[in-house]
Amino acid sequence: MLANLPYYVAAWLFLCGLYGIVRSRHLVHTVISLTVLQSSTYVLLLAIGFRKGGYAPIFADIAPGVITVDPVVQALMLTDVVVEVTVVALLLAMVVKAFEKGGTTRPDDLRFMRG
Amino acid sequence: MLSPALLVAIPLIAAALLGGLRKLLPRLLTDVLALLTALFNLVLASLWTLHALHRTQVYWFGGWYPRGHMALGIGFVMDVAGCGLATLTAFLATLALLFSFRYTDSGGDHYHPLMLVFLAAMSGFALTGDLFNLFVFFELMSTAAFALCGLKTQEPSPLAGAFNFAVTNTVAAFMMLTGIALLYSTTGALNLAQLGLLLAGRHDRLVLAAFAFLMTGFLVKAATVPFHFWLPDAHAVAPTSVCVLFSGVMVPMGLFGAMRVYATIFQGCFAGTHVSWIFIAFGSLSALWGGIMCFAEHHLKRLLAFSTVSHTGLMLLAFGLWTKTAMAGLLLYLVGHALVKAGLFFCAGILLHRFRSVSEPWLFGKGRALRRTRILWILGGFGLAAAPGFALAIGESYISAGAGWTEWIFLAVGALTGGAVLRAGLRIFFGLGDAGPTDESAKVDEAPETLKESHQINWFLWTPALACIAGSIALTFWPEYTNAVHSAAIRFMDFGSYAHAVYQQFTPASMVRAAAIPGKDWLLAGVHAFLALGLALWAVYRRRIPRALRWPSHIEGPLRPFRALQSGYPGDYVAWLTVGSAALGAAAFWLGH
Repeated sequence: MLANLPYYVAAWLFLCGLYGIVRSRHLVHTVISLTVLQSSTYVLLLAIGFRKGGYAPIFADIAPGVITVDPVVQALMLTDVVVEVTVVALLLAMVVKAFEKGGTTRPDDLRFMRG
Repeated sequence: MLSPALLVAIPLIAAALLGGLRKLLPRLLTDVLALLTALFNLVLASLWTLHALHRTQVYWFGGWYPRGHMALGIGFVMDVAGCGLATLTAFLATLALLFSFRYTDSGGDHYHPLMLVFLAAMSGFALTGDLFNLFVFFELMSTAAFALCGLKTQEPSPLAGAFNFAVTNTVAAFMMLTGIALLYSTTGALNLAQLGLLLAGRHDRLVLAAFAFLMTGFLVKAATVPFHFWLPDAHAVAPTSVCVLFSGVMVPMGLFGAMRVYATIFQGCFAGTHVSWIFIAFGSLSALWGGIMCFAEHHLKRLLAFSTVSHTGLMLLAFGLWTKTAMAGLLLYLVGHALVKAGLFFCAGILLHRFRSVSEPWLFGKGRALRRTRILWILGGFGLAAAPGFALAIGESYISAGAGWTEWIFLAVGALTGGAVLRAGLRIFFGLGDAGPTDESAKVDEAPETLKESHQINWFLWTPALACIAGSIALTFWPEYTNAVHSAAIRFMDFGSYAHAVYQQFTPASMVRAAAIPGKDWLLAGVHAFLALGLALWAVYRRRIPRALRWPSHIEGPLRPFRALQSGYPGDYVAWLTVGSAALGAAAFWLGH
């Protein structure tokens, strides 16, 4: 049970983020919900790479054959962080622009393209 | 030959240069440099496609060749389908950059660097043989697309369209990443070939869940109903030259990603099950829904966007059939659709440049003077209906050769989408009938893209449209091309030869000679053209016929319950995405377990 806890946390964060986006009526709130959704992928990736009693995968000062956690998922997670910071920055820049031009951060006031 | 890594590296370097020096370089020089970069990609990708006809070569970055079964490095698999798609991307990018020559508003000089990043990401996406690398290129392509979509920041509506696009597609990307993580957790591999070998025959719950997550991610990009809501909003606000790349290659690229992953990883898992029926169901739904919404639309760019939903649905349907002829038809259809759709978007861009609007009722009768654009638009309408002599008709005859019932869906889609384009053409360019009904989205003012108003249509505005439409006709008279696509499709589906190429660096290819070409059914294609034109005329002259026979104008009319779904809230779109992914997952568990 306890070993599976990170997976439950990841699923919970995923659903929380989805719920937040679906119910959102404020653009900044939408973007923050997206980062909650994203953090579920961090938890999932780190949980997959975890080895009980494993060292950090820096091979300069540990003896060969010592158990380490999986370095590949950590690389994946770092890439994920970089990619998503870009997206969040872009989204927030759009919100700022929308506020400058339309004076609003509510999607209700920005729905020009209905139907 | 030059390394395929340059297909990604050169556009990225050029983008960095143009981005860094954008305050110093004059506009003309920026245009020329961006065009030369796209042309370089076009030449190199074409050369690699020719090379791939003889053998599939794999390029390993940094010389990290596989050791035994472990493929730790990242490789570009230069097969015909991937290289061909990279060529198509470079071709359309070249034309799009030509179209935006000199006049188009470059959004504070961010346009050219973003276009080149977009080009680099799509080229990489088409070629990579690594699952995580596929995700990275997917995100790079998406991020460049979001920024390009919101380029016209002078007003809030492009921002709303770009925001919906970005939120929906980013959720999709996380689903994809979750799928990748699940596959990695059970195999410890990220290379597509290695994953396919390790997972062969397994269809337990973990594999099925990963399949559902990955496919949802790709199908959101491929704008499959009910994941498609972002697409019309994004197309309505993006600059025309960007729309060309969105509809022509980015959306089919989502489908291509799904196909690549299915052909390599999941083909062995689901052999003997009916999992591919999911694609048939989703594809048929998208084809019909997109067709109906397309005919009901009066904002030209949104009309074309819904037709993209419809035609990509047809391609998804062909993918679900999973036979060699259907796959050949899919690839032929993909290229034909990209050319015709790009040509139509260029024509819409000319209208926007000349009249500052893309609203069908507002443009009524105004286009009479644009003789060249008029011919190209009408030809494009027939092309979309898969009329005889267009590349789409050949693709269709391949797909329906093994599954006759799909012919009915092709007929409906051709009549609705081709009919909608012809209807708009008859009203705008010929002034037939009356201005017709309108709808809410057609009343939204489209921001002009070009810097100065001009009555002149320069050569660089109409030659791209001409090149696309002429290309879609010329391809049907080139049997070697059809043969090459056919052999590309066979190799694309053959996981054994793919894995052999990855582990042995290359596999020799054998060309297929035109043994299995189904008869091109010109009569049926003629029926398509006739139906589309009939529907268009019926809608245009609806006031002259008895009230009881006016049903096409009911399809053209409001369709309120359908349109209400296109609400403009990002939350609603993500809710539909959740519903769709749950349906996809449930179907996968039901059919694959």
